[in-house]
Amino acid sequence: MVQVKKLKDGSRQVILTAQQFDEITKVLTELAAKTKASTILLADISGQLITQRGNTEDINTAILSALAASDFAATSEMAKLVGEDAKFKLLFHEGEKRNVYLSNIGDNFFLVVVFDVSVTLGLVRIYTKKAIHSLLQVFEESEQSEDSSKIIDKDFSSMLGDMLDDSFK
Amino acid sequence: MFINWALQEINLKIVYYGPGMSGKTTNLEYIHSKLDPSLTGELVTLKTKEDRTIFFDFMQIEVGRIKGKKPKFNLYTVPGQVYYASSRKIILNGVDGIVFVADSQRDRMEGNIETLLDLENNLLASGFSLETFPWVVQYNKRDLPNAESAAVLQKKLNFFNVPQFEGVAINGVGVFDTLKSVINLVIQNVQRQL
Repeated sequence: MVQVKKLKDGSRQVILTAQQFDEITKVLTELAAKTKASTILLADISGQLITQRGNTEDINTAILSALAASDFAATSEMAKLVGEDAKFKLLFHEGEKRNVYLSNIGDNFFLVVVFDVSVTLGLVRIYTKKAIHSLLQVFEESEQSEDSSKIIDKDFSSMLGDMLDDSFK
Repeated sequence: MFINWALQEINLKIVYYGPGMSGKTTNLEYIHSKLDPSLTGELVTLKTKEDRTIFFDFMQIEVGRIKGKKPKFNLYTVPGQVYYASSRKIILNGVDGIVFVADSQRDRMEGNIETLLDLENNLLASGFSLETFPWVVQYNKRDLPNAESAAVLQKKLNFFNVPQFEGVAINGVGVFDTLKSVINLVIQNVQRQL
């Protein structure tokens, strides 16, 4: 299971294992092939990009996922205002050349699919739904979680301090 | 915080919070202008015609690898205007550390206090509190003639005694010290809770 830990001060920590990452990549690769989507992003609701597929060179995907997360959050506020109890599950933006399809995956993640207008929306919907189903399974899978205390130790923080000093000259 | 073991990435989200026109965007603009372009992405600002931030500003910073790990910092600002309350709430989603940018001008004190209370309310709604959350305060616009004394600002705004910095963000004074301090607090906090 993707570890989503609530820390003592209330902040949220999301940890993705290498195995889960591989499986997610597989699902997205298949989705990209089936839908001919030009770009696919998987991100966390705080706007953090997790992984991407397709043509991502011409697009700043870090920014795209930050904007998409806000888009999502803004519409869930909208849902509340119009008396919709659940959050809106998906958003669709129609353009002249490109369309963007956003869909949430459980409570913590969402998918952004950018595709050419020549691709029918129905196709994107069907395969995205299928991909979300697979992704939810990957997120649910229980397996040995990795120990996050190994990643940030005392050395790490002092080295980070030095690097920040160097960068911030 | 988001840790991706496959890519050995650690992602942290830092939000600049404060009343309208206190200099949150200016902090980010300065960082963006001074950092080596290889370390920082594009600075996105969603502004109104009047130069007010309408949704947020966003920028990502990397500092290279540390013991094989790649820390990335996602910096956001919130719109300061009172009527953008829901944007502010949204941007706090998944936040790891906060910089409160206060406007030192005497007549802006009320705006500072109001925004700080708004921040506390938004944090409480997500289960955090300013008492325990990693945050720092920057008293900006120290160069202006009507700036309140640091002692008064300290007394009225920094009731949890968090690290505080005097800033003139437009010239970069205090900008990097503030950012470094909040990053340190976040990392310490993560270590403490592991």
